[in-house]
Amino acid sequence: MLILNRRHALGLMGAAAGTLALPGYLRAQGARPSLTIAVQKISNNNTLDPYHEQSNVGERVFFPNLWEGLILRDWMGNQGPVPGLATEWTRLDDQTIELKLREGVRFHNGDEMTAEDVAFSFSPERVFADTEPAGGKTIYAEDYRPQTGKDLPAAVPGIGRRLWPALAGIEVVDKYTVRLHNATPDVTLEGRLYAYGSQILSRRGWDEAATYADWAKKPVTTGPYMVEEYRPDVSLTLVAFDDYWGGRPPLERITFVEVPEVASRVNGLLSGEYDFACDLPPDQIASVQNAAGFEVQSSTIWNHRISTFNTENEILADPLVRRAMTHSIDRRAIVDSLWGGMTVIPAGLQFESFRASDMFIEGWTVPEYNPELARDLLRQANYKGDAIPYRLLNNYYINQTPNGQIMVEMWRQVGLNVEIQMVENWGQIHAHEGVKGVRDWSASNNINDPITPIVVQFGPNSQIQQMRDWSNDEMNQLCVLMETSTDHDKRKAAAKRMLEICEREDPAYQVLHQNAVFTGMRSDLNWRAAPAFAMDFRAGNWAD
Amino acid sequence: MFRFVLIRFGRAFVTIIAVMTFAFVVLRLSGDPAAVIMGPDAPIEAVNAFRAAWGLDQPVWVQYVAYIQAIFTGDFGVSMRGQSPALDLVVERIPATLELTLPALLLQLAIGIPAGIYAALHRDSAIDRGVILGAVMGFTIPSFVMGLVLVLVFAVTLGWLPSGGDATWQHAILPVIAMSVGGIGILARFSRSAMIEVMGQPYIRTASAKGVTWGSVVRGHALPNAAVPIVTIVGFMVGSLLAGAVVVETIFSWPGIGRLLIVSVTNRDLAVVQCILLLVAAVMVVSNLVVDLLYGWLDPRLRGHAAH
Repeated sequence: MLILNRRHALGLMGAAAGTLALPGYLRAQGARPSLTIAVQKISNNNTLDPYHEQSNVGERVFFPNLWEGLILRDWMGNQGPVPGLATEWTRLDDQTIELKLREGVRFHNGDEMTAEDVAFSFSPERVFADTEPAGGKTIYAEDYRPQTGKDLPAAVPGIGRRLWPALAGIEVVDKYTVRLHNATPDVTLEGRLYAYGSQILSRRGWDEAATYADWAKKPVTTGPYMVEEYRPDVSLTLVAFDDYWGGRPPLERITFVEVPEVASRVNGLLSGEYDFACDLPPDQIASVQNAAGFEVQSSTIWNHRISTFNTENEILADPLVRRAMTHSIDRRAIVDSLWGGMTVIPAGLQFESFRASDMFIEGWTVPEYNPELARDLLRQANYKGDAIPYRLLNNYYINQTPNGQIMVEMWRQVGLNVEIQMVENWGQIHAHEGVKGVRDWSASNNINDPITPIVVQFGPNSQIQQMRDWSNDEMNQLCVLMETSTDHDKRKAAAKRMLEICEREDPAYQVLHQNAVFTGMRSDLNWRAAPAFAMDFRAGNWAD
Repeated sequence: MFRFVLIRFGRAFVTIIAVMTFAFVVLRLSGDPAAVIMGPDAPIEAVNAFRAAWGLDQPVWVQYVAYIQAIFTGDFGVSMRGQSPALDLVVERIPATLELTLPALLLQLAIGIPAGIYAALHRDSAIDRGVILGAVMGFTIPSFVMGLVLVLVFAVTLGWLPSGGDATWQHAILPVIAMSVGGIGILARFSRSAMIEVMGQPYIRTASAKGVTWGSVVRGHALPNAAVPIVTIVGFMVGSLLAGAVVVETIFSWPGIGRLLIVSVTNRDLAVVQCILLLVAAVMVVSNLVVDLLYGWLDPRLRGHAAH
């Protein structure tokens, strides 16, 4: 019961009078709400560096609230490019782009962003260390050991060269103009500029940090929100940056809280402690949707669940067996039973974004579900029923374990003997000891071109080929063409041929379904989820 | 007595070395940290560079010798994830864990032991049966079930207490209760059994026959003799103060040692896991050492027995 005595009443009257006396703009300043978002994980490696934290969870806390690039992704639209820290860009030739920087952009430390900061953001000191673009030394020196706390972690240059395999450097033309020089022709340079890992940082912010670890916990960027406090594995608090070039951010604070247990995230949402509960599995959706005042936003994201084949396995060396495996899976049944029909079966390893660059292969589908065909292929392969190992992680991906069990049963229906081997981590998935067979993976699209994921994840420099899981000479030649040719028709024909090779003739993988993300939230927030892990809390996606 | 203490210290040292060695070998045999930390999409160059940078490309015995040498110079290694000293990360989390485990231990002692003793002194009464029922329920309900039920009732349904996090002291109430219940049940059962056994001994009858008051018999004869098994259990509980909060800290998103251990094991952050295990082993060993020494103090017969 509220007891109001004389002192309380006087206090309340004083507070009310003070509020009325405040200038209007100050009241407006104080009107911004703050949000608490429960997530399963904030950052896998405890850094806020997009060149180090390469993950879906990283995307959520980085974009578009903290980090920004020269070109931005249209998160709430078609995921295509929109002007960001650069207002315009022009192709000077097939290896060079000139970009005009937005004037008056401020970093969180108050400095104005200039061409020097842009050049530094793509420099050896920041990203590439002693690696060189394609044509030179591309393999990162294995004897590299950081000597000081300021040196880059060993992983960063390798990731940098994956994202920018042939970047020769950034030329500063004047304070607001830069030129990006690539060592080889590349039609995807613009796409790489708005992809994960091409964001701009303050040079002074970098220089003033005592160590890389210090910098990576509080990077100085240009985003609408800046890091107030980062407690690794616990919470990340972003606070509004009122000098943001895109206008005053609508929220005072955004606090990401790490809550590993899904039941705890749901309970925290329903009890009012969190405004959002992310990473809900499909079977938890009803418990949120049925509660008054809450809703679940779902969206398919640009990431497909796949499983891959290891052709060092004597049985899987025969493409007929792999083809049989791809025709044994009833993907519709999986989507309906495990996902409640809330995701889709894509057109092979393709994404809708490919349409923006006219690289989508119309009419292409995943292998049809045809158990009879699968049995026939196994007869042709003279398969005798020997076991095929399936190294399986315990729900690293949503529904991974039940999905694996269902697939094994579907394979058994056509006569395939696939044995699940539960493993604990990716090191055990890739371990060379023992015989490999099938494993799960996912494939992400970052730019509106088939370069991602098919070339990046299955091309000659991919992890798949370097691990000797699979290789195909024609595919590798096509990848070179895809990366260096500027002829649209040739590239599109190559993309079609790559799908034929990787999904039909000599299967490297099978696409299962598109991934989806489910976010529980308060219904009164009037906020929309992007078709991505990223959560947009800029003014355009927040109704006051 | 000196020989007694010396033997105990020797055993403690060997135990710690054994735990360190076991943890070191098992962690390296159960998955490549580079692949785990770098994730499923990492380029092979980055994974190789990571291995080289952290010395994971060296033979295990070379890594082990370097590790032991470093430990004896006070260097517990650097976290592969956070790039900061592992010891700093671990020490930073200790207060949060103690904020849960110390109140939980006090609750266990304050409720479990008196309840058990009271039940023993009123054997076969309704209270005794009630204590037994409560104790069995307490230690058979897993702490994660207890935690989720508490959250559903007190946070979601009633809205009285927060469901997770560590922002205020109120955030600690539910996790402390979830952690305490099992221990209260265990202590109540052990205390009851110990007291019942002691109360049946001839010297208790003798003391009563000599006209000593019932209260004096309990305080002067029964309790000191029943203390040995109770001290053993309490020793285990104190020993697990740092490691006992793994499940509860995860459910309540409490940023203590338990959650750090889960995250570090999942990511094969070797230095941090080894540091935590070393710390836990040290606390456990010291706790057992103290219990051993208390045995000798409580029961002089054990000193001579141990020395032989």
